Amino acid sequence: MKSSILAAGLVAATCATPAMADKLDDIISAGVLRCAVVLDFPPMGSRDADNNPIGFDVDYCNDLAAALGVTAEVVETTFPERIPSLMSGSVDVVVGSTSDTLERAKTVGMTMPYYAFENAVVVSEKSGITDEAGMQGKTVGATAGTYEAIWLEEKVKEWGAGEFRPYQNQADVFLALSQGQLDATVSTMEVAQANVKTGNFPGISIVAKADMVPDYVALVTLREEYGLLNFMNLFINQQVRTGRYAELYTKWVGEGEPANLTIPGVYR
Amino acid sequence: MFNYNFRWNQALNSLPQMLEGALVTMEIAILSMVIGIIVAILLTVCRISGYRSLSAIATTWVEIARNTPALFQIYMVHFGLGSFGIHLSPYISLLLGIAFNNAGYLAENYRGALKAIPDTQTRSARSLGMSAPQAFVHVVMPQMLRISFLPMTNQMVWAILMTSLGAVVAMNTDLYGVTSALNALTFRTFELFAIAAVIFYVITKVITLSARLLAARMFRY
Repeated sequence: MKSSILAAGLVAATCATPAMADKLDDIISAGVLRCAVVLDFPPMGSRDADNNPIGFDVDYCNDLAAALGVTAEVVETTFPERIPSLMSGSVDVVVGSTSDTLERAKTVGMTMPYYAFENAVVVSEKSGITDEAGMQGKTVGATAGTYEAIWLEEKVKEWGAGEFRPYQNQADVFLALSQGQLDATVSTMEVAQANVKTGNFPGISIVAKADMVPDYVALVTLREEYGLLNFMNLFINQQVRTGRYAELYTKWVGEGEPANLTIPGVYR
Repeated sequence: MFNYNFRWNQALNSLPQMLEGALVTMEIAILSMVIGIIVAILLTVCRISGYRSLSAIATTWVEIARNTPALFQIYMVHFGLGSFGIHLSPYISLLLGIAFNNAGYLAENYRGALKAIPDTQTRSARSLGMSAPQAFVHVVMPQMLRISFLPMTNQMVWAILMTSLGAVVAMNTDLYGVTSALNALTFRTFELFAIAAVIFYVITKVITLSARLLAARMFRY
């Protein structure tokens, strides 16, 4: 009698175990990590001549997959589609330079920062703008849904003059700027430099650093996946500790020091 | 699995902004229909004018408008003309893009409607002493517009739904633009777009129902 109860308990316990499996278990047992990466955002994400995804975020996804012992699968996404793709379960994590705003943290789970951007004021040379204040009252724009777009739209509202235009992707912003449809944009320094260097957008130049808090970006997954968030936090720490962070910076951004990911005077 | 907790109150706070966006959407749809109808009538006249060059222009317009994506048409108005130094605001780009599309489809509707009007009517009008333009304006056109009235409301619905394509030209004051800007701020994707979908549904429903009522009143014998 006693033993049959025990046996039943044992069976119940074994059966109950799979229901406890979280995302971290699911990824490891599936053997695949699906990352949403934005691929029109060089040097963080773009495609090479053979159409393969490359960039800082792509390498970061590959490193994370390697740390988990699984294969990485890069799923291309746009900035506005990052969260729907996560919520609908078509990706496991977003490695998409996602700014860690409090408003967004009400919906998704953010790790500690894995990168930080400085932002640049990029102008159409025809506009004659030379600094951030010069943007006041002009037609400005940025990539819809990004940190700098939210900042710039707020600025335009504050100025009460000029116009803000959110384009769907970074390439369209620089195209509009190059055509003179926009007078200026604010874009992450790395992205601006990479795009000016390509020569695809004649007539644009970087004139100043934008005076805003660095744009700290985090890895994103579902809010309740503490196991995975915990793993990714340690992973980010290890990337910095082992020098891989600096290595990826040199590889994709260039010479120099990558941004400090800690904030003096406060714990995470 | 769908892993999401709906928080409606947060999204519903944005309702006033979204309704303002809905007004802009309706404004663009109505203006684009007005322009579309006028241009479509001109295109129809060009096609039946008998001048080969005019009819070629009209045919080209209709072919491009009907056989390429509306998204492409709107994008070309903004960035295509932009590369020639013609800079149109997102509002105007979207309006002209949809009007271009409307004109193409409506011209094709009118062509179908013309086929339903017997030739004898034009001939009777001419024999009463009307000139060719008079016969078209006073006899043929009213019937053409009546026959194609319901297809036109269909195009109106399309015009409303096409405003959501304005995002590609950085349109941010219409219903879709407002919704997607709110989404970037809060990431409450599913609530916001569900509300937007309901608003779109209500607008199109109101328009189709009022068109039906209007048709019932106007086309009584």
